[in-house]
Amino acid sequence: MPITVNIPTILRPLTNNQKRIEISGFNVLEVIDQLEHQYPGVKEKLITEGESHSFINIYVNDDDIRFGNGLSTQLRDGDSLTILPAVAGG
Amino acid sequence: MSMNRALTGCVITGPFEHHAPELAIASSLLYQSAALGIKIEPSESSSENAALSFEFKTPHTTPIICDVGKWSDASRQALATENIMQAACGLMSVHGRASGKYRPLGLNYVSTLTAALALLGGVAASIGQLRGLSVGHSSVSMASAALLSLGQYIAGATASESPEALFPGTISHGHHPPFVSLDGVFFELETLNAGPWQKFWTEIGVSSTAAGKAWPAFLLRYATAISPLPSELSRAISNLTYYCISQICSRTGMSICPLRSVDDRAKDDDCQHVWHQGPWEFVFETSPGGRASSRASTRVTGDLPLSGFTIIESCRRIQGPLAGHLLALLGATVIRVEPPGGDPLRGMPPMAEGCSARFDALNHLKTIREVDIKSPAGQAEIKELVRHADVFLHNWAPGKAVLLNLDDEDLTSINRSLIYAYAAGWATDRAAHCPLSSMPGTDFMTQAYSGIAKKVAETSGTHGGSLFTVLDVLGGVVAAQGITIALLNRCLNNVGAKVTSSLMGAATLLCADDFHDVYNLPATTRKTSKSIIDKIYDTKQGKIAVECCDTATLIRLAEVLEIAIGTETADSEDNLEVLFLSRTATAWAEVLEEARVPCAVVIENLADLQNIAYLKASLSPGSYTSVNSPWSFR
Repeated sequence: MPITVNIPTILRPLTNNQKRIEISGFNVLEVIDQLEHQYPGVKEKLITEGESHSFINIYVNDDDIRFGNGLSTQLRDGDSLTILPAVAGG
Repeated sequence: MSMNRALTGCVITGPFEHHAPELAIASSLLYQSAALGIKIEPSESSSENAALSFEFKTPHTTPIICDVGKWSDASRQALATENIMQAACGLMSVHGRASGKYRPLGLNYVSTLTAALALLGGVAASIGQLRGLSVGHSSVSMASAALLSLGQYIAGATASESPEALFPGTISHGHHPPFVSLDGVFFELETLNAGPWQKFWTEIGVSSTAAGKAWPAFLLRYATAISPLPSELSRAISNLTYYCISQICSRTGMSICPLRSVDDRAKDDDCQHVWHQGPWEFVFETSPGGRASSRASTRVTGDLPLSGFTIIESCRRIQGPLAGHLLALLGATVIRVEPPGGDPLRGMPPMAEGCSARFDALNHLKTIREVDIKSPAGQAEIKELVRHADVFLHNWAPGKAVLLNLDDEDLTSINRSLIYAYAAGWATDRAAHCPLSSMPGTDFMTQAYSGIAKKVAETSGTHGGSLFTVLDVLGGVVAAQGITIALLNRCLNNVGAKVTSSLMGAATLLCADDFHDVYNLPATTRKTSKSIIDKIYDTKQGKIAVECCDTATLIRLAEVLEIAIGTETADSEDNLEVLFLSRTATAWAEVLEEARVPCAVVIENLADLQNIAYLKASLSPGSYTSVNSPWSFR
């Protein structure tokens, strides 16, 4: 099940500077595990103690996974997964 | 420890009984000076090319001549008022993103910022003199102050990768904060985490999908100055009373604050004290053995007045980092402490050469040190850095410094000459004593609580404050001012200090004249009056801002337009609207400037700023357009 993952600039040093990666997985956690397998170090930048970091937003298409099923959010063929740093406060 | 007016013994001399439009700058400068204990001596004349010129001197330095110009390009003679500057430098454009309308902020924002930067320049130059620098002049301009306030937004609009194209007229203007309840109360909501946001809207009856779509727009409003929320949210919340909504907030961890007036704020127990004190609270080290070491008189190591000083900055977001940025522009070495892996905001689009342009705009002059401040090893590392530093600056949440063992007492005990600076949201770090401690002290909450939001709404024809970060920016300038004033005091009196500034203090500074009126204090030399014409007109191409402060200017406008204009503007409005459509904004600006009528082509897209000849001196091209130092010293 190919999913397109949009890699933020800050993680590109870990992904050989690739901006987009095609990868398989039935849910968000599986995709991240696959990313970690191919590009070690990515997972700890995104997840801690089984949840995504509070300063990272992960979107499936346009939807923030925290308002769905979190890391268990199901993925479908052709979905895109976007990782963005969160900004909060002034 | 004892509290003092920080600059008692210093003198400021200038023609402060000036006429509009410089009145607001002079008024703010006098308020700030009085709060610092500076003696004010009026004089007759002002430098011809400056909006205002004054002298600042300490008991041990020669006077620093502080010129406050209108434009960064000193040869430009076009008249400028507060609102004309807001139009010419892009402030109206950013403020108008949320409403879709080009309107002034309704605050003497550029004037207040200019006054603060001018005083800061004089103080910094005096420090330079005391440390061996040959300096006698400091200059700033209203335009450079306005551009400084927009540095992050200009970076976002000009970033090399996917620059933002956000300006009124290009954005879908849905519902945006503030919210309104069934019983008509306008209020702000705030949370920095998705959890309370989701729980709150679920209890309100909004679907998780809609709440999820709204979250990034809500979160990003600090960066983008827009926050288009699905109408489902405002519809649902407007079916409930304010009391009911505040109860849901209590249960879900969401923070809520009604929009209060300046009069409401004036009735708060602490307000008159804060107003008298000014936006800084200084506590000078006076304990036995508390005299500063020889570090206090370190000599300058470069051409700028604060060169040779070392600042340790542990701040996130805008207010604190901007303070550090300003100190770096004045020559200080700023070591920025970031968490292991770096500040996540480094990756926030739009990007320029691998870093968030917006982030880089505030941090590119700093040395980065990654430290885990939560660990004992990290705390020891901070203490070692502080041992050799002049200033420690943080903007942590109330109470966090104590938990981290990095409170003022922890750090001044290892460096008696240290300036310990806290850039707060509200006014105090003593969380237990702060009635506001349950609310995050963020820009929009402070705008609501302080009366700023309501004041902006009344002038802008909107329901609430500005999504331009009005207080974060002014708060950053005030924090840098407080630190520099404490450094001057250290040079003069050889003592360290704790200095606290806050967004609330910045709000009080912005409304200083209002409080003067509310408290029925004796009239000063202030003579505020509403302009006869103060409007944005559509033209054949672009928009033009025109302001006639007095009848003489109105007559000049009528002469150049070859029409009759009454002082009752309603009759003339339609005529003017039609007339201005006959030429481009640039053509009108040329004609009106020649006639000495304050005007400016309204900047719509911030990316256009770099093409304006008279603003170029304040900007530097690159992977994004950065804003130069607002000061020049000689």
